[in-house]
Amino acid sequence: MLVFAISDKGGTGRSVTSSNIVYRRALQGSDVCYLDFDFGSPTAGAIFSVSSVARGTAQGGMHRYFEGRLADPHRIDVWVESDREGLRGKPPGAGQMVLFPGDEGGGEFSTVSEEMLRRCVRLFSRLEEEFDLCLVDLSAGRSFAAQMALAATARLPGVPFRWLVFHRWTRQHIIAAHGLVRGRQGLLAAGVEHGHDEENLADHIRFVRTAVLEPDAAELEGLRETQKAWLHECDRELRELARKYGVGRTAMLGKIPLDPVLQWREQLISDEDVLSSQIANAETVAAFDDLAKKIVDDSAWEAL
Amino acid sequence: MLLMGEVRTGLLQNSGEIPESLCQAVLGLLSGERVRVSRRPIMYAVSPDQLTGVDCRLASASRARVRGVGTVLSRASVTGGRVLQGSSHIRVVRAGSDHRLSWSHYLARPGVVEVFGKVRVPDLVEGFAESGAWNDCLDLGSVSERFMDAVQGSPLLDRKAPFKSARTRLRWVAVSAEREPGHEPGHEPGHEPGQEGPGIRFVLGRDRVRTLRLVLPGGLTPGVVDFCEDLALHDWLLTTLQVIFERAGVGTATRAEVTARLAPAVDHLLHLWMPAARLDDEFTPFWERLERRPGFSRQWLSLVARVRDQIAVNTLALLREAGGW
Repeated sequence: MLVFAISDKGGTGRSVTSSNIVYRRALQGSDVCYLDFDFGSPTAGAIFSVSSVARGTAQGGMHRYFEGRLADPHRIDVWVESDREGLRGKPPGAGQMVLFPGDEGGGEFSTVSEEMLRRCVRLFSRLEEEFDLCLVDLSAGRSFAAQMALAATARLPGVPFRWLVFHRWTRQHIIAAHGLVRGRQGLLAAGVEHGHDEENLADHIRFVRTAVLEPDAAELEGLRETQKAWLHECDRELRELARKYGVGRTAMLGKIPLDPVLQWREQLISDEDVLSSQIANAETVAAFDDLAKKIVDDSAWEAL
Repeated sequence: MLLMGEVRTGLLQNSGEIPESLCQAVLGLLSGERVRVSRRPIMYAVSPDQLTGVDCRLASASRARVRGVGTVLSRASVTGGRVLQGSSHIRVVRAGSDHRLSWSHYLARPGVVEVFGKVRVPDLVEGFAESGAWNDCLDLGSVSERFMDAVQGSPLLDRKAPFKSARTRLRWVAVSAEREPGHEPGHEPGHEPGQEGPGIRFVLGRDRVRTLRLVLPGGLTPGVVDFCEDLALHDWLLTTLQVIFERAGVGTATRAEVTARLAPAVDHLLHLWMPAARLDDEFTPFWERLERRPGFSRQWLSLVARVRDQIAVNTLALLREAGGW
């Protein structure tokens, strides 16, 4: 299955959240891979703690593959090449976890040629043979990478795909997420142009809320009553807004709580971070775990 | 001078094995010519040969610039209606002239690549075996994969493969044991010091790359391509069954889960093991040598026995739990 991660705005935590989903899915026993399609600023190496490709690879990554300069993009077995001790060595029962990094000094494409599209179709098709889940991290906003993903999936009718739209739980982000999907030149409009059926495509898109502050969270115990009441009111308004814009609960696949570790150290959160060093919250890991299950659970993707 | 090639092997992307008629249709996509099929002891269908023109560097261990011009011979095949292979090879010969001739010259010699200048065979042998995709040299593997992709992309396949599996890459190079004029004496590429019997060296590398070096006593006969494809097929079967068994979670997962995870192997793989089924007699000694060490069939049979034993004990346990006895 191909899963595309996209967000309208930057700073949503799209990359770090989708990397953690991939990691959790691998721990749950699936063979997974992560493709860095953020050609302009590849960062996945840093999230997976593979320092040799922290800012992209010098050995031929996604960008050069699409340029037609190599037959196979550089692939990294994270269980072998990660610098983080907790990630090195595949735990028993876990699946493969492979990273396809971007290129050092890559850059966004200014157009999608037929040849690039064919390469993309070939890549997706080959990876689908090998991996249960291929997560493609697209850059923020409407990019050529997103166009290419829509066009390629339209040519691969037998390959299941899903889209995750990441947005923060704020007024601006909710409106922007709506626009990214349903606005002019949004995913649906662009998808139809590339040959997708609008309704079918819409059924394969879900939203993920990031950095969500729950008004009832334990951390907020110390707030004054007036502050709490105000927070509740804001949350209610946001829920109302989200519903109005089609970004409400039914279209939501999951939400990730606000966690300082995710904000300051954009990395995979291991169980050790929760249990031994206790720097991360158990709720965050539970949210990743839940998303990693729902992403492949058909009942979470029934038509709206 | 020498033969070299690369075979890529993978699971055909279809829910079940495909019948002969469908094999013909998916392999026929590659060209208008007829697909050849043999039915005993296992169904094997192979596409007509395809030619790809090349004019590029050949990998050499010394990093010397070796230019080769000619054509690559490729074919795709399906074994047992289940396993897909893409195979490409070339015969490297010294060019008779010092410049590129018209394409009609090369097209009249399918599968021959002519190299210019002074070339040492061991240099090419080692260079080819070492080379990865990351250089500008001739990449026979990606030619093979192109033909595999064409088959996998056929609308006649449902793309619902019963399990995920990676393609394997077997890179092979064969030289003749007969001395050619101008051949420099020295270490033969397939022979290890002190080794007896046929010259064959098979090495498992990283990222599912295998290299095979052969010294052919009877000269460079085309049957070597069949042998390499057969070896690649059985190496893929073994590799894939190992992964399935490893991931079944024996000892940790519940008995029902283990059985369910092993089931695809029983349904789709176990009956495909038939080493040396279609080989010329002159290659039997090579298989026999591989059977002695590392012992392909020995490992396969032991693994198959483990799969069946697991399923048997799990079935008994489930029957007992169901209150039967």
